[in-house]
Amino acid sequence: MTSEPGADPATGTPLSVRGVSRRFGSVQALANVDFTLEAGEIHALVGENGAGKSTLAKIVAGSIRSDSGSMSLFGQPYRPTSRREGAAAGVAHVRQQLSLVRGLTVAQNLQLGRPGAPAIFNAASARAEVERWSDEFSLSVPAETLVDDMPLAVRQQAEILIAVAWGARLLILDEPSSALGPLETKALIALCHRLRSEGTPILYISHRLPELAELADRLTVLRAGRVVVEGADVRAADLREVATLMIGDVSLLEVNRPEIERGTTRLTVTDLSVSSTQEIGCHGLNFEVAGGEILGVVGIAGNGQDSLAKALTGQAKLASGHVVVDGEDISGSARQAIAAGVAHLHEDRSTGLAAAFTVADNATARHVRSGRFTRFGVRLADKIARHAGELVERFQVRPPDPAARASSLSGGNQQKLMAARELEKNPTVLVAHGPTKGLDPEAAKAMRDRCFAAAQAGGAVVVISADLDEVSDLAHRVVVLYRGRVTDAFPIEDMTSERLGAAMAGLTETMEAASG
Amino acid sequence: MADTSIGGDVGDASPEPLEDEGRRLTTSLSTSCLAVLMAIVLGGLIMLMSGENPLTAYTAMVDGAFGSEFALGETLSRAAPLAIVGYGTAVALRAGLITIGAQGQVVAGAIGALVTAQLFESGPSAVAIPAAALGGALFGMAWVLIPALLRAHFNVNEILSTLLFTEFAALLIEYLLNNPLKPPTAITPQSDPYPDNGILGLIIDGTRFHAGVFVAVAIGLLFVWWVRSDRGFSYDLYGENPSLAQSLGISGNRVIINSLLISGATAGLVGWIQAAGLLQRVYVQIASDIGFFGLVVAFLGGATPGGVLVAALLFGALQSGGLAMQSSEGIPASLSDIIQALLLLGFSIRYAPQIIRLTRGVMANFTLIGKRRK
Ligand SMILES: Nc1ncnc2c1ncn2[C@@H]1O[C@H](COP(=O)(O)OP(=O)(O)OP(=O)(O)O)[C@@H](O)[C@H]1O
Ligand SMILES: [Mg+2]
Repeated sequence: MTSEPGADPATGTPLSVRGVSRRFGSVQALANVDFTLEAGEIHALVGENGAGKSTLAKIVAGSIRSDSGSMSLFGQPYRPTSRREGAAAGVAHVRQQLSLVRGLTVAQNLQLGRPGAPAIFNAASARAEVERWSDEFSLSVPAETLVDDMPLAVRQQAEILIAVAWGARLLILDEPSSALGPLETKALIALCHRLRSEGTPILYISHRLPELAELADRLTVLRAGRVVVEGADVRAADLREVATLMIGDVSLLEVNRPEIERGTTRLTVTDLSVSSTQEIGCHGLNFEVAGGEILGVVGIAGNGQDSLAKALTGQAKLASGHVVVDGEDISGSARQAIAAGVAHLHEDRSTGLAAAFTVADNATARHVRSGRFTRFGVRLADKIARHAGELVERFQVRPPDPAARASSLSGGNQQKLMAARELEKNPTVLVAHGPTKGLDPEAAKAMRDRCFAAAQAGGAVVVISADLDEVSDLAHRVVVLYRGRVTDAFPIEDMTSERLGAAMAGLTETMEAASG
Repeated sequence: MADTSIGGDVGDASPEPLEDEGRRLTTSLSTSCLAVLMAIVLGGLIMLMSGENPLTAYTAMVDGAFGSEFALGETLSRAAPLAIVGYGTAVALRAGLITIGAQGQVVAGAIGALVTAQLFESGPSAVAIPAAALGGALFGMAWVLIPALLRAHFNVNEILSTLLFTEFAALLIEYLLNNPLKPPTAITPQSDPYPDNGILGLIIDGTRFHAGVFVAVAIGLLFVWWVRSDRGFSYDLYGENPSLAQSLGISGNRVIINSLLISGATAGLVGWIQAAGLLQRVYVQIASDIGFFGLVVAFLGGATPGGVLVAALLFGALQSGGLAMQSSEGIPASLSDIIQALLLLGFSIRYAPQIIRLTRGVMANFTLIGKRRK
C-alpha cells in the first residue's frame, strides 16, 4: 500500500476516493462518496454536523475502514488498515478531537509513534526539532510543556507541527481552527499556503466561512453522507457564492440580536485571582454582569480564560476574591455553583462529556446529585432515557438516540449534547466557552439563539471565546484578557480591531473593567 | 460484543479521547472471554506436550469442581472470597483507581477480626460474629487509609502505595504471629485458635461450604445496587472523566477516599471469613493469594456484577478442580496453576494499552515533577 519511497509524488493524483461507503449501525455515515484531492491544492470539505466529514477523513487516514469502495494515493492503490499505516504512507491527520498523549510533552509526542523513529528517545534533538519547526512557521509551540498544561489552541498547533515534522505528503486538517483566534488563524492560513506551495496538498474541514474563502481552491459539500457538490472551484468565487454552495441558505449567517431588557446584577466578581500551574491564572479581576446582559471575554488563548471559566463555575480554588451569584458566594464550590443555577459549556468537549457513557447518561448528568431519576437510590433507566430523549430532541442532537454512546456522535452533535445537559433549565449564569465551536451555520445560529434566550430569561451570560466574530455577534460588552489581567473593557459598539489588537497584545495600560 | 457500531475501528496508535474508552478500565467482557478461551486452549496444548490427555484432565477438573456436593462446596468456598475482593476492587476500578493492596488488607482484616473476636470471647455469638466482621472490615479500611489520603491530597499513585502497604502487612503479621499473638506452646508462627463463639459454621457437613459464602452473596447484591445507584454512577463518572465529574459537583477527594475505603473494607471482610470460617486460626499465609487473584477477578470480570461473579467462580473451580484432578487422575495440580497464570497473562494483554498509558503517566509524573513545581 505504501508507494516506493523514491517514487515521484507528482506522478499520480495525491488522493482519489471512489465509491466509499461506511455505515455505523443504523446510520449511513458515508454513501458512495467520490472525492479527488489534486496536487498542490487546498480542498475544503464542508457540510452540516454529522454529514460524514470526519468519517471520510478517518477512512483516508486509516483509523477506520470503509465498508466498500476504493482509494488510491499518489497513483498507488491505498488500503490502510491502521493509522500507523496511513502515516507511513505519508498521510497526516490532525483530528477534530486532538490526540496528543497527555502526560507527555510536545517533544515526546513528536517522537512517539513517529514512522521510523529510532528506539531511543533523544530529548535534546526532539526539543530542537520542535523549536525549529515552531520558529519556521512562526508558531509558539513550547517543546517541553506538558500537553495537559497547554491551551487548546496551542495543542492544535502542536498537532499540525508534528504532522509536518513527520514528513506528511498529504495533510488532513479536521476543523483545525475551531479553537483559534484571529491571529492564530492567520498563522494557520499562512502555514497552509506555504505547505501547498511546497507541494503538500491539504484536505481542510471547517465550518468557518471566511477562512475557507481565503484558503480553499476547491470545495466539496457533503450532506447526510452524500456528495452534493463535488470539487467546485472557489478561487474566483466571493464569500456569498461560497456560502450559497456550502449551506444553501445564506440568511443563516445573519445575526439578529434581539432587544434584551437589562435586569439587576446577578454575577459579581471581586478581586478574583486564581493561581494555576497549568495556565497563566488570573489576577485581580473585577466585573459585574447583569441579568439580560451578555459579557464577552476575549483574548489570545492561554491568557487566563480557562482559569476564569473554572472560577466562575466554582471549579477553581481561588487565591483571592469572590464570585457571587444572586448574593450567594459560590467561590470554589462547583456544587454550590450548580445549585445556584450556573451553567457551563466547556471549551474542550473531551473534558465536557463522558465519552464512553450513553447520550442519556450525559444529557442527565447534571441531575446526578439531585436524586430526581432514582427510586431507593437506584437509577431508573427508563425515566432517564425518556427525559434524555426529550432533551436531545429539543437540542437537535443527531441521531437522537439516548442509548448511543456520546463518543459515536459527530463533533458538532457532541457540542449540542453538552448544551442539552447544561441548558436544560434557564441558567442564572451561563459561562459559555466557545459556544458555537464546531457547529454548522444552522446549529450555530440555534446556539446563539439559546444564548440570547438565556439572557432574555434574565440570566447573566459570559461568552469566553478566541473567535472575535462569535463574541461580536453575541456580546453587549467586552473585556479583554491579557496574561490573566483585564487590559481593556468597552461596550461592543466601541470595539475596533485596533483597540482589540492593542489590548490583546497587552499594549493597553492595565485597567480595572468598569462594571455595568 | 457490546458495541458493534465502533467495532470497525482498526488498530490505532493514539486513539481520540472522545472515541476510545477514555480512562475507563472496565469495559468489554468479550475480550475477557477471549482470554479465558485462550487459556483453556493453551493449557490443553501444554498438557499434550507433557504427555497428559487434556480431555481427561479437563473432565477431571470439571468433575472435581462441580461433580459432587463436596466439590461444589470446595469451589464455592474458594470463589466466595475472590468474589468479595473482586467486588470491592471493582468499585475502585470503576472510579479509575487501581488498588492492588487487597492482599495486605486481607491480612489486616484477619488480624482485626481475630483481635476483636478475642475481645468478645465470652459474649454470645450474635454479638461476637458481627463484631469480628466489623473489626475485620475496619482493619482492612485502615490498611488503605493512608494510600487513599495520599492519593486524594497529594496525588500519590495508588498502585505503588497500596503495594507498599501489602508489604507492610506481610511484615506485620510475621511479627505478630512470632511474638504477641503466638501461643507459648506453638512451634510455628500462628495464633491461638479462633474463639469458638465467633466461628462461621459449616452449612453442609462434610464439605467446606461455610457461612462466609452468604457474605459473598450479600456483598454481590450490594454491588448490584451500587452500580445502578446514583452514587455509583457518580463514582463511575469520576472514573471516566474526573474534571467533568468535579464540574458537576462531585467531590474527587471523596470519590477517591470512599472507593478505596470500600475496597479495603471488603478485603478486610475476606480476612475475617478466612480466619473465622475456613482456617479458624490466623497463619502467616492466611490470605493465600486471594488478594491478588481477587484483583484479577475484578479486571477479568470487567468490574461488572455478573462478570466478577463468573470470573470468581471460574478461579474457584480451577483451584478446587486442579486439586481434585491431582488426587483422582494423578495429573499435577500445577497444570491448573498454569491455566490460572495463562488467564493472568491474557488479562494483562487485554489491558496492556491502559496499563502502558497509566505507567507512562506515572513515569511522566516522576520525570516532570521538577518542572511542574516552578
Ligand atoms: N463510531 C461511531 N459509531 C456510531 N456512529 C458514528 C460513529 N462515528 C460517526 N458516527 C455517525 O456518523 C455520522 C457522521 O459523523 P461524522 O463525525 O463524520 O460527522 P461530521 O461531518 O464530521 O460532523 P461534525 O461537523 O459535527 O464534526 C454521524 O451521524 C455520527 O453519529
Ligand atoms: Mg467532524
